[in-house]
Amino acid sequence: MSVLNEAERTPDSSFAAQEQPTVLAKAWRRLTRSSLTGRILFPITCLVFWLLAIKIVTTIWPFAVDVLPTPGQVFGFMWNEIRGDTLAPHNMYETFGISLQRLAIGMVIAMIIGTIIGIAMGLSKAVDAFFNDWVVAILAMPNLAWALFCSLAFGFGDLGPIITVVLTGVPFVIINVREGVRNTPADLFDMARAFDVPRKRVIRQVLIPSLMPFLFAAARYAFALGWKGLVVAEVFGGQDGAGWTIKFWYDAHRAYGVVGYALLFVIFALVFEKFMFDQLSKKLFKWRPAVDAEVVEERFDGTAKAAVASAAAASTATGAALGSITLATEGPPADQPAQPHSDETIRRDNDHG
Amino acid sequence: MADIAVQNLHKEFGLGADKVIALENVNLEISGHAFVSIVGASGCGKSTLLNILSGIDVPTSGRVSITQDGKAARAGYVFQAARLLPWRSVMDNMLFVQKDKSEATRQRCQRYLEMVQLGDKGNKYPGELSGGMQQRVGIARAFSTEPDVLFMDEPFSHLDAITARSLRAELHTIWAETGKTVVFVTHDVGEAVELSNRILVFAKGGRLADDINLTLPFPRDVADADVALKKADVFRTFENIGALAVS
Amino acid sequence: MATTLDSPPKPPVRTSEEDLVRAAKRKNRITTWGWRLAGYVFFLGVWELASGNLMDERLLPGPSTVFETFGRLWASGDVPGAFATTLTRIAIGFTIAFFVGIGVGVLMQNRFLNGFFRDAVTIGVTTPGLIWALLTAIIFGNRTAGPIIAIVLTTFAIITVNVSEGIKSIPKDLNDMAKSFDVGVVKRNRHIVLPHLAPFTFTAVRFGFSIAWKVTVLTEVFAASKGIGFEMRTATQLFRLDEFLTWILAFYFVALFLDKVVLESIERRFFSWRGELKS
Repeated sequence: MSVLNEAERTPDSSFAAQEQPTVLAKAWRRLTRSSLTGRILFPITCLVFWLLAIKIVTTIWPFAVDVLPTPGQVFGFMWNEIRGDTLAPHNMYETFGISLQRLAIGMVIAMIIGTIIGIAMGLSKAVDAFFNDWVVAILAMPNLAWALFCSLAFGFGDLGPIITVVLTGVPFVIINVREGVRNTPADLFDMARAFDVPRKRVIRQVLIPSLMPFLFAAARYAFALGWKGLVVAEVFGGQDGAGWTIKFWYDAHRAYGVVGYALLFVIFALVFEKFMFDQLSKKLFKWRPAVDAEVVEERFDGTAKAAVASAAAASTATGAALGSITLATEGPPADQPAQPHSDETIRRDNDHG
Repeated sequence: MADIAVQNLHKEFGLGADKVIALENVNLEISGHAFVSIVGASGCGKSTLLNILSGIDVPTSGRVSITQDGKAARAGYVFQAARLLPWRSVMDNMLFVQKDKSEATRQRCQRYLEMVQLGDKGNKYPGELSGGMQQRVGIARAFSTEPDVLFMDEPFSHLDAITARSLRAELHTIWAETGKTVVFVTHDVGEAVELSNRILVFAKGGRLADDINLTLPFPRDVADADVALKKADVFRTFENIGALAVS
Repeated sequence: MATTLDSPPKPPVRTSEEDLVRAAKRKNRITTWGWRLAGYVFFLGVWELASGNLMDERLLPGPSTVFETFGRLWASGDVPGAFATTLTRIAIGFTIAFFVGIGVGVLMQNRFLNGFFRDAVTIGVTTPGLIWALLTAIIFGNRTAGPIIAIVLTTFAIITVNVSEGIKSIPKDLNDMAKSFDVGVVKRNRHIVLPHLAPFTFTAVRFGFSIAWKVTVLTEVFAASKGIGFEMRTATQLFRLDEFLTWILAFYFVALFLDKVVLESIERRFFSWRGELKS
């Protein structure tokens, strides 16, 4: 993507002397090659595209002016909401609070139910056979179905959204916890047995910490998928909350309201998720060998890998792919191979001790 | 110093056509201030024997008894990989295998950490240590329980030569000072000759093929002529019994 | 102490051991299937009992009611039409999303374009399909373009992610080796690049499809006059839960069939060498 081709500038390359490209040329080269430029250019391009599209559409269909949201309208709307000035019954903060509350309750219930069933399934083949097809079935069900059903069955209020969150999250929790139980570090248990460590201590200091990464991933999925289900549930069966407010603007035929509010909530959910889980991750997993430096590309790779890995882990394409981009934590399987009685496969670096 | 007695020990894995005989009718006795090395090619049952002796595995038939003054002996174990709990600090790892958490115990653990030159690393997590350091913690951990017998399963095989050499010296010093019984599995004949006063040679199929006593004085230097000759002797034994045959 | 070298006593009759193994394996299989069946009986039973007893049967129709309703709807001839409409929409939407996804994935190998599209992909993966559905419903109303655009926007990202992953991991060493042997570009692509990309593309198709059908039904709830989603909305508005459940379950089974039976068996046949399948 270099605009100034060095070969063209110095046709007589028989001169052994390398004519240095000018500072400007180098800077331009770096600019057009860098990914940061691209990243900045994207929203600008989108904006331009947006304005152009509006221009074009309104020239063809003049009546569309009311329906199409302009950037000005959307950002103006968002700014008003942030200031607390809104036409909807509750302001943004109250609304998000209500939704968050429902999400939290649903998540806790999902974690409890999911952990119990997941542990049972991991420990017993019979229980696994009993539940497995149903876990897969619930995993593949669109949250729309839950949302509509709950709205019809439970009417307006908190119950419908909460149950939707539970139903959306439980299969993920089950699958992750089951993986955790299946991947317990057998070598560490053998070591504890060789030293005659009392059972309670083994459970507290070996079993539970080894399950933590899986529980953490489960919580992350429950959150990420939960809020999406919550929004849909609130659209159909709420009388408040983020989803209901979006529907409010939809019913009012105000596209800028739909876009703006959705943007606000999506950004809020992402930031909250990242903040909460990153902080939690730092505290819970400070023993992990340093994975600090998050190079820009690596973060994207992480997302990609998480999307792919989460799908594999969830053992069906359907549910897992429903869109968690949150980083699945790298669990024990990568660090401690589950080999029963042999240490042949360790992969540690061996420097001078 | 423990007394180890093994009678008609037999261990098989699998059934029918897939059956593998890991140990075949092993009889042996170990007692006193012994450093016994078990050598043999891969797949000759060395690790299986150690697992059975340390209680991780059970024999298919036969009898194993490990006693100290008539009572069940306490054993320590050092693995090929350090097997430290990655989510706890070094000192917590040491404390994990102790009988209690008293101040006296803590100080004892600290002493053993210092013996392997890691006295100041008590608060670090295993993830912050190199492979060699982790293995040293593993050794300190095993010794710190002050067991009657110590089982070691190729503890230095995953380390580089220089680290392994210095760790061997440390191990020998601790063994000499503490007077324990050590059962040491290795595929490295040189290591066995350097460290032990008795070598058990296993052949393929889990057969105990030879029992060699070494009387050379300690400490032994691999560069020493006597040691080198003895090493050659042991290798010749291997060849004689076909223990070197690769599967 | 030297070993005694006499061989150990042989176990009495060897063949019965094999029979034991086989019997044990058979018992295992039967137990697993037994529990699986028990699960179906249990959950379907609970469902059937809950309807009418735990919850009003108008609110929670039992499996038998759903079955009946399906028969009724099928007899009335509504079913094939709705299915056809929805499946067509999915096909169109998914195909477009597929090519857009691949295109973006390929383009993203360039550093600059990677930066450009990154946020688009992130937004694509995180935004719930609902938002796109609502938006396109407002802007396009009932026109066909609306749902299609929503499907494309929701689905392309996961395809991009998978394709990108595949391209990034193309074994450069294999390619270089082929180059050093003067193997031409076409041959190299056929034997190295394409087989390597095949599983990633396939995964992309599986995930993409699973997202696409859900979003399609969702958009139809808001902005269609035909199709499964529309029927679901109608049933909801008329408070006919039995019809609602019938529609969604019927379509859900079709989608599940397509995903698990069709796609997974293709995956198993062609990609068993990957060794990553968990059923």
